[in-house]
Amino acid sequence: MPMYQNGEVEPAVKALEARQDEIMRKLYELKAAVEGLAKTVTTPDADLDLTVSSSSSLSSQSPTSTTFRGTTDLDALLGKDLGALRDIVINANPAQPPLTLLVLHSVLCQRYRVLSTVHVHSSASSVPPQLLSCLGPRHPDSYARQMFQLGFTLIWKDVPKLQMKFSVQNMCPVEGEANVARFLFKLLSPYPSDPAVATLVDSWVDTAFFQLAEGSSKERATVLRALNAALGRNPWLAGPEFSLADIACYCCVLQSASASSAPTNVQRWIKACENLGHFGPAKLYLK
Amino acid sequence: MTKEEAPGATEEEQQAQSKKGLKKQQKEAEKAAKKAEKQAKLAADQQSTEEEDFAKDRYGVSAMVQSQQKLDRVLVRVQDLIPEKADQLIWLRARVHTSRAKGKQCFLVLRQQQFNLQALVAVGDRASKQMVKFAANITKESIVDVEAFVRTVEQKIESCSQQDVELHIERIFVISQAEPRLPLQLEDAVRPDGDGEEEGRATVNQDTKLDNRVIDLRTTTSQAIFRLQSGVCQLFRDTLTEKGFVEIQTPKIISAASEGGANVFTVSYFKTSAYLAQSPQLYKQMCICGDFEKVFCVGPVFRAEDSNTHRHLTEFVGLDIEMAFSYHYHEVIDSITDTMVRIFKGLRDNFQTEIQTVNKQFPSEPFKFLEPTLRLEYTEAVAMLHEAGVEMGDEEDLSTPNEKLLGRLVKEKYDTDFYVLDKYPLAVRPFYTMPDPNNPKYSNSYDMFMRGEEILSGAQRVHDAQLLTDRANHHQIDLEKIKAYIDSFRYGAPPHGGGGIGLERVCMLYLGLHNIRQTSMFPRDPKRLTP
Repeated sequence: MPMYQNGEVEPAVKALEARQDEIMRKLYELKAAVEGLAKTVTTPDADLDLTVSSSSSLSSQSPTSTTFRGTTDLDALLGKDLGALRDIVINANPAQPPLTLLVLHSVLCQRYRVLSTVHVHSSASSVPPQLLSCLGPRHPDSYARQMFQLGFTLIWKDVPKLQMKFSVQNMCPVEGEANVARFLFKLLSPYPSDPAVATLVDSWVDTAFFQLAEGSSKERATVLRALNAALGRNPWLAGPEFSLADIACYCCVLQSASASSAPTNVQRWIKACENLGHFGPAKLYLK
Repeated sequence: MTKEEAPGATEEEQQAQSKKGLKKQQKEAEKAAKKAEKQAKLAADQQSTEEEDFAKDRYGVSAMVQSQQKLDRVLVRVQDLIPEKADQLIWLRARVHTSRAKGKQCFLVLRQQQFNLQALVAVGDRASKQMVKFAANITKESIVDVEAFVRTVEQKIESCSQQDVELHIERIFVISQAEPRLPLQLEDAVRPDGDGEEEGRATVNQDTKLDNRVIDLRTTTSQAIFRLQSGVCQLFRDTLTEKGFVEIQTPKIISAASEGGANVFTVSYFKTSAYLAQSPQLYKQMCICGDFEKVFCVGPVFRAEDSNTHRHLTEFVGLDIEMAFSYHYHEVIDSITDTMVRIFKGLRDNFQTEIQTVNKQFPSEPFKFLEPTLRLEYTEAVAMLHEAGVEMGDEEDLSTPNEKLLGRLVKEKYDTDFYVLDKYPLAVRPFYTMPDPNNPKYSNSYDMFMRGEEILSGAQRVHDAQLLTDRANHHQIDLEKIKAYIDSFRYGAPPHGGGGIGLERVCMLYLGLHNIRQTSMFPRDPKRLTP
């Protein structure tokens, strides 16, 4: 093979390779643009041109900025600033990883400077390694706690019911994944001001945790039918806006492994949820 | 003989004395006579029984063990006596914990360290009446050699550690006899605080226990505490050795006080005076400058503070760590907390019986911790205390009550008994503490807490001779006295940090005990120098 002797390549071949690389690059860009467009089509309220973000990097999840528009100021929400980290402590049983909260955590991280830490309590034995890194890699600034607005401390512990402790002086511990999810979601965007819609969101959250997650297969099928009906009327469960109802129901549908057998509207909605990019981290921890 | 002589002697004086006196004397004489009679009878009895005693070579007080002979006899451990050993004839050496004679049989509880079991001597073809009597009269705490058959029992013996078997004694010899009167009873010494009052039984106070430490150390509680303490040391060594640390030994007689001169013991040293080391601080740091990178040291530490509290001793065992780090002193914190967590886990997994034993007398909640260890910053702690209504300045040091309150607040929120408090105000730390680069009011220093009490104080040290001089000047320390220390950083010193833990405190707080003297074998405090 005389052409490759001494490691030299003929200039003509080099030029050809360069041209081919260029074509490939353009093709990739095109593919990304098409994929982005497809997302806009299947996601009900995505009005962004996704070509830019998806071709630059997958990690910049711009839809969130449009999803949670509400003005939220931590001082207004959580009371006066005491000059220290506001640390949310969540005690969860490793046997039941709280998917909803993991999703809300990743959304919180896009909104605030969140210091996330995972601990194992001495009462919990053998926590699977993937649960130890479920809040993502350690923040490079994590040595300075004061630089963060919000602390998210997840403790794997032998608790019968998920529990949140925030301000021990003024709040009793909040029990149940649903209630903690409501609290976290309010840090992201205010509940709908219309009481009817707000109640509807609450009711869907209850349905998700009591009937989808814990219910029998019969109950689950009923809920799926109800979901299908609701999603026939609106793009999201509680109307035109993506809400906590969607997050809770999505996670519980996934956890109960009934996604594959879901009716059409639900299937479409699942795809729409997935396109939002919030659920990536949670999907990793499904059994 | 006395019977006849005694009245004879009194007859001569009779006349001079009154009638009352006479009567009295007569009575006394009668008494003496009766006594003599009894003694004679007893002697006769003994003689006659000794003749009949067929088992007399099966018991007795054996000659003092002066290593006259080397027997091939195997002495079985009490804890090894389990139902599988049933019907075997074994030899055993143990203490007589209690003995209780009941007609023709005598029950003994034999104890070996924290284990005990029931033994029985019954009149039969192997044991005589006299042998049972002898066994019943052995004083408590005597050491005996026993040959016996192991027998399973139908009903569990609740009061013993070996519940499924008892011993049927064939031979019993006293190896070492205890004095009949003990300064304290073992049962009284292990009684939980509340129980004694209810039953009207005696409890032994701390000082009596410490005055008779040898006996107190025999109690199951003390046995468990000091076994666990040994475990802490071993786990500490094992973990650090595994992490690549080198164990060092440092001098305890030093020429200058390391942390201010107020609380050091002065000893006369030939024509001059010296001090007892308050911590191996300087030597640990010199080893770092001597390129040992990671060192630890287990040894005595002296504090001449005249504080008579539940948690201060004048001499205690310090577990000291010092290590060079790459870029951030949190590497040191991580290393120390990981070591502590491994110790806690090791105790939880390997010393459960000891923990339970101590809990029987001193009930406490199990020790809880998080992995990785919770780290809070000083400002957060101050905020938590403010929220709880405590008035304190941002750069004020934590008072002991505030420390405890903070411990409770942290426990409430995070449910951990062990945490690190980081970034102390620079003003409240020693001169060799590295200032925080982002905020000169704070420092790269930390304390570690167990059940709300400080067990470790540590920091990144200043490894730059110039900055060290400045800091010493700021603290108005005589530079001449610490010249050798500062000089050791002139020839290239790696960034390093460390900390020191008190072994007794760790044990006390892990077990939830209330007095550090319980976890010090022979405690030294301002008022106690013996035993």
